[in-house]
Amino acid sequence: MANVQDGAVTRDLTLRGSNHVDAESFDIVATYHRLLKEDPDLTMPMAAIEALIEFLGHSQVKTVYETIDLVKTQSEKLQAAVRNPIALSHGTDLFSQYLIMSLKQPAASSASGTGAASSKHSPPLDNPHESFEVVRQHLLRNSRLFATRAKNARERIAVNGRKHLHDNTTILTMGGSRVVGNLLGRAAAKHDYGWYTDPPRRFRVLYAVDPALEAESNSVVESLRAQGIQVATIPFTALAYAMGKVDKVIVGAEAVTANGGIISSMGTYSLAVLAKASRKPLYVAAEQHKFGKTFPVDQTDFSFDQHVINFYSNNNKDTKGKEVSMPDPIDFTPPELIEAFFADHKVLTPDEVAKEVIDMLM
Amino acid sequence: MSTEQNGAPAEAAPKPTEAPKEALAETPKQTATNQNEKPSKDAKSGAESKADKAEPKSSDAAGDKKLTGAELKAKAKADKAARRAQQKTSKEVAKGEAAVSSSPGQLGPSAGEVKAKGGKGKDGALAAAAAGRPVLLKAPPSAVVTEQKIQIPECFSHLSMARRIPMTQADKDVHPSVLMLGQQMATFTIDESITRLKATMLAFRKVIESYITPPGNVLARHFTPHVLNIQIEYLTACRPMCFSMGNAIRWLKLQVSKIDMDASEEQAKKELCQTIDIFIAERITVADEYITEQGAKHIKDGDIVLAYGRNTLVEKAILYAHSTGTKFSVLIVDDPYEQLGQQLAKTLTDEGIKVTYSGDFGGLRNHMRHATKVFFAAEAMFSNGAMYARAGACDVAMTAYELGKKVITLCETINITERVATDSLTYNEIDPERSSAAAFRLMFDATPDKYISLLVTELGSVQARSAPDLLRKLEEFN
Repeated sequence: MANVQDGAVTRDLTLRGSNHVDAESFDIVATYHRLLKEDPDLTMPMAAIEALIEFLGHSQVKTVYETIDLVKTQSEKLQAAVRNPIALSHGTDLFSQYLIMSLKQPAASSASGTGAASSKHSPPLDNPHESFEVVRQHLLRNSRLFATRAKNARERIAVNGRKHLHDNTTILTMGGSRVVGNLLGRAAAKHDYGWYTDPPRRFRVLYAVDPALEAESNSVVESLRAQGIQVATIPFTALAYAMGKVDKVIVGAEAVTANGGIISSMGTYSLAVLAKASRKPLYVAAEQHKFGKTFPVDQTDFSFDQHVINFYSNNNKDTKGKEVSMPDPIDFTPPELIEAFFADHKVLTPDEVAKEVIDMLM
Repeated sequence: MSTEQNGAPAEAAPKPTEAPKEALAETPKQTATNQNEKPSKDAKSGAESKADKAEPKSSDAAGDKKLTGAELKAKAKADKAARRAQQKTSKEVAKGEAAVSSSPGQLGPSAGEVKAKGGKGKDGALAAAAAGRPVLLKAPPSAVVTEQKIQIPECFSHLSMARRIPMTQADKDVHPSVLMLGQQMATFTIDESITRLKATMLAFRKVIESYITPPGNVLARHFTPHVLNIQIEYLTACRPMCFSMGNAIRWLKLQVSKIDMDASEEQAKKELCQTIDIFIAERITVADEYITEQGAKHIKDGDIVLAYGRNTLVEKAILYAHSTGTKFSVLIVDDPYEQLGQQLAKTLTDEGIKVTYSGDFGGLRNHMRHATKVFFAAEAMFSNGAMYARAGACDVAMTAYELGKKVITLCETINITERVATDSLTYNEIDPERSSAAAFRLMFDATPDKYISLLVTELGSVQARSAPDLLRKLEEFN
């Protein structure tokens, strides 16, 4: 009796143990960094989602709730491992919302990508575990789907955004955003809608180069010039001076907040303030998967400290004041300074973004 | 006085109490002494008459000295009668309005049945003072016959106020737990929107537990009109319902109507009690916890948090932030009428949080300059994003806005109403304890959404004007 019981217990234990070993041996942080490195075009939220899908492939859990719980712990692990987890958390939030929504929907396999987050409510299946397996298999089979969609998103933004670029205008941008680079490049070429061929836009680009992002900026500038666009580069300090010559400002974003503001590389806020002061519209090119629940009320309202401002004097031997500022610092641009968003699904105002975030993620 | 003309004939008929008789008897005298015809019209004579009433014989007010004792008596009587008649009408109008606005269709029987009585007021004031509400803005104690004295101009007659209803005057079918709750609400012992909501739901749970369906009836059909509505009427008469109670009662009625007709009574009652338990857990308990945590996240090292008055949710958030090791201090600006901020200051200093306290709005701008963030908890949120909160909140929020400080509002989604307010007068409540014959005080104000940076709810943190989106989201859940 005792033997049998023992055997049963140990078998159980090993089974469980193996699951956990799988889940534990899987290093989600390393995977995330590997994915980002492998594919330089991958955005942070997308890398986070792909890392989570890889994790799902390694875990053997069978129940829905266990999985959601595991995804949650892995997301937290991932967020804890990076200094600025905002963009990443938008990815993980979207993914867990997608999981929950897919499991609520009977036609889980037909749900796809970010679209699935649209909240349609229907009674859960009689057997949620079965539906869960379907979702899981679907995810694993299409693990690259998210990345592909993300890249397509960039193209769709270019199509949505070109309608707002006009001939003989000067566009100001900064920050080495790939989305913006792509948008400007595509707009300078003709676009075939199928029923109508849109002629190329003739505009000039004024590029403010932030010394911290010189490499990225230069590569974007070079590629734009290679596409026949006239580009002038100005130092960041010349922004206010040059603003009079500008018709429109377009920037990219690392993450879009719940109120329709953006979190972007340091300096975007300054640019936005200057643009507002000169009454130039500021547009943000950002994919929908960057939308998230983050809601900073001011520049310091983040879960981490950037240590950008460090007071100290030579008299003060205290080393505490000499903390190193965070690499790739960010700032928050409030929605009042933003005219509109060029997203992959449509062009929308900050208020509409706020509404979408509530519908999609809350 | 137009209220008198409109209301008096209709109201005098069903209530042949002492007051109208007196009024009839004394009218000739009243007209004879012309100067006293409408004594309550200005504050001075009102105050005089109060003094007269308290000590009619020993009155030595300068103006009345020449009158003989008999004349004095007559005058006092006339005053009293006129006052009573007028109050009655204005009160009835107010009550009717309240019943109409809060729960249509319940006007009928209750309007006449539950009625506050004169002479109760003094005890009430004392009890209230004992219950922690400092008595301010009050004339000599003899004149504190609270609600009886308040003159509400007709243009404000849509606003209602709490009043103490003697238990004996309540409908016989009002459940004991609801009776008690009504008294607690009328005396503001239970004050905050969410506390009132929770107490109401728990009381209704007791009502359901002790309910027995009369033969030939079904719970789903009988309970709401014949039992629940009576409780609601009584509670509304004690103090106007807050928005969260309105929302929850609508929800509860829906749940009752959803009960399966074929289910046994035991089963139905059990189910209802369970749904109430879940409702309290989800919409109040867990919601509070989540909001506390989220609100606390916005408090950073080195912050100076400005709090206006005291609210449980704000207090919890501050304590939570402190417990997570954040180093910050708190600046309490208090409502001068109801200095609950002192309580907050005590609680916080007991926990070792540095507190600066200001008893009123003196130097508000200066305090605000030092503050980094302002925390509010909303009594309710309107669909246009306006915040309904303790009177004075709007002033604080506007000052914060002017000085570029961020205003963070904590609010459970049950407090969000589909109604819209662009001013503070459409929806409000009259403070029964700090209103006099000459003036009355409103308890709340509405802060437009542009002065609020962030609204923290249990569904997530949004901008204030997204409140209707949250409502829509909630409907999807149901």
